[in-house]
Amino acid sequence: MKTLPLAMMISLLLMIMVGAAFGGPNLTIPESAFDFGYVPQHSKVSHIFWLHSTGDSTLQITKIVPG
Amino acid sequence: MEIIFNTGKYKRKITKKPRINTNEGPPGKNVQISAYIVERPDSTYPVSIKPYKLDLTQFGEKVRDQVKFRITNVSDKSVNTSMIATSSEYFEVDLPSSVGPGESAEGVLKLKEFALDKEFEKSFTFDLDDAPKTRFTVPVRRKLRPSVQQARDAQKNVDLRGDKKGDG
Repeated sequence: MKTLPLAMMISLLLMIMVGAAFGGPNLTIPESAFDFGYVPQHSKVSHIFWLHSTGDSTLQITKIVPG
Repeated sequence: MEIIFNTGKYKRKITKKPRINTNEGPPGKNVQISAYIVERPDSTYPVSIKPYKLDLTQFGEKVRDQVKFRITNVSDKSVNTSMIATSSEYFEVDLPSSVGPGESAEGVLKLKEFALDKEFEKSFTFDLDDAPKTRFTVPVRRKLRPSVQQARDAQKNVDLRGDKKGDG
């Protein structure tokens, strides 16, 4: 009789842990590095990085900090 | 997300790691850009590009919608080119597919209709099939200067306003 509540508690704990691990917002950047190669001095070049929201809630970008 | 990198006075190899903070929580995630900044455009190997900065600034009334450039192979082996990244919304690039040793070939960048009335600073990146897969990024810039006629009209309006003031 005591083993059933214990098993239930362990299951519940596991569910909470899994939820904590996979829930919430998640940012995935498929290509996170780009090499421009040779670039002339005193010029501006650009590259587009794709950001994917792969979590189960809305991803909000709060700040971009220049490198 | 578009990263615009101003090469400024940087020299040689440079790496930047902008960080993206989100509601995921700290520490955020990084993207990385790297480049080899050249001070003298004719110093690149195995090819050099001329001009290395493409400027499509609109000065007068004649529409500037394309610019030519030359890729010169300064090595003793033929090279093939492949486009890696471009701003296809703004322009299309006709890149020579190969350049023989000691030869040069012409490329053409043509603006798309969408970009004609825009100011922008973009670029395109291509690489070669040599052993190190040498890569080049060519900056492309367009500014819009008022046409001579627009400038004259503006001056005429100023003069007229001045006349009215004088009359009153």
